[in-house]
Amino acid sequence: MVTAYVMVKAHTGDADRLRGEIEGIDGVTEAHIVAGDVDLIVKVSVDTPAAVKDAAATHVQDIEGVESTQTYIAMD
Amino acid sequence: MLYVIVGAGRVGLRTARVLRESGHDVTLIERDEGAVERARAAGFDVLDGDGALEETLESANLAEADAIGALTGDLNDNFVACMIGKQYGCRTVMRIDEDYREEIYRRYASDVDEIIYPERLGAIAAKNALLGGNIRAIADIAQHLQLVEFTITDSAPMKGYSLSELELPADTRLLAHGKSDAPLDVPDPDETLDAGDHLVVLADFDALSDVRSIVVGESGPSKALGGA
Repeated sequence: MVTAYVMVKAHTGDADRLRGEIEGIDGVTEAHIVAGDVDLIVKVSVDTPAAVKDAAATHVQDIEGVESTQTYIAMD
Repeated sequence: MLYVIVGAGRVGLRTARVLRESGHDVTLIERDEGAVERARAAGFDVLDGDGALEETLESANLAEADAIGALTGDLNDNFVACMIGKQYGCRTVMRIDEDYREEIYRRYASDVDEIIYPERLGAIAAKNALLGGNIRAIADIAQHLQLVEFTITDSAPMKGYSLSELELPADTRLLAHGKSDAPLDVPDPDETLDAGDHLVVLADFDALSDVRSIVVGESGPSKALGGA
């Protein structure tokens, strides 16, 4: 299993919808709205590193209102 | 009243100044040495330290403070300062850095009582300067609600009428009236509207252009009045 954390920066105040859509993505186990430089932190748990990219880069970024993402793969 | 302001930069220091001018006590917290010195030179009590740390805020006498303004350019620091401030029973005001975040913090940040987006306020001031003349947007109260000040001109249709004769559209309220040289006051229905008088009206955006044509008689792009 590969675990990764995806920092999501939005450009909309509609954080509820963003969280809902992100939670619906395969491999996403948790999504939280946070205070600070990013607006949501998403935990992804998938089988392969390639699947991380698929979930984070492709699916999350496709959501309307997502400005950018930054992904951190857990090493432990 | 004692206020604690975190951040003595362009927003924090200015806020401290206007609070002091209104007779309030202000303690500033700032970690940049240059900014600390500038604020001290301006005669302020400044604590040299990190406003996102509880020990710094404690030494700022947060327990006695009425409110805390977290006005740095750093969103994380501002949020943490508000959380700590709330624990001490302070009213909390947080500066944000992008307008879409206003909605998010209003909804989720229960420790934050008020949100300030300085650029929005600057835009309102710039818009007023650009529009010029006899209408001035004071504030956006809510998404569809704006507080506007009108100045009665010689050509205004309501000039010479009394306040009781003023009929405003639905979704609007007259809140204050002032003669040209006097401060604004609660509207007196018997007062006559003369050139130079000021009226403060709370209105739905949709009704603003109607209010404008009733009060000052100008037609123009009502869009110019919309939110900042």
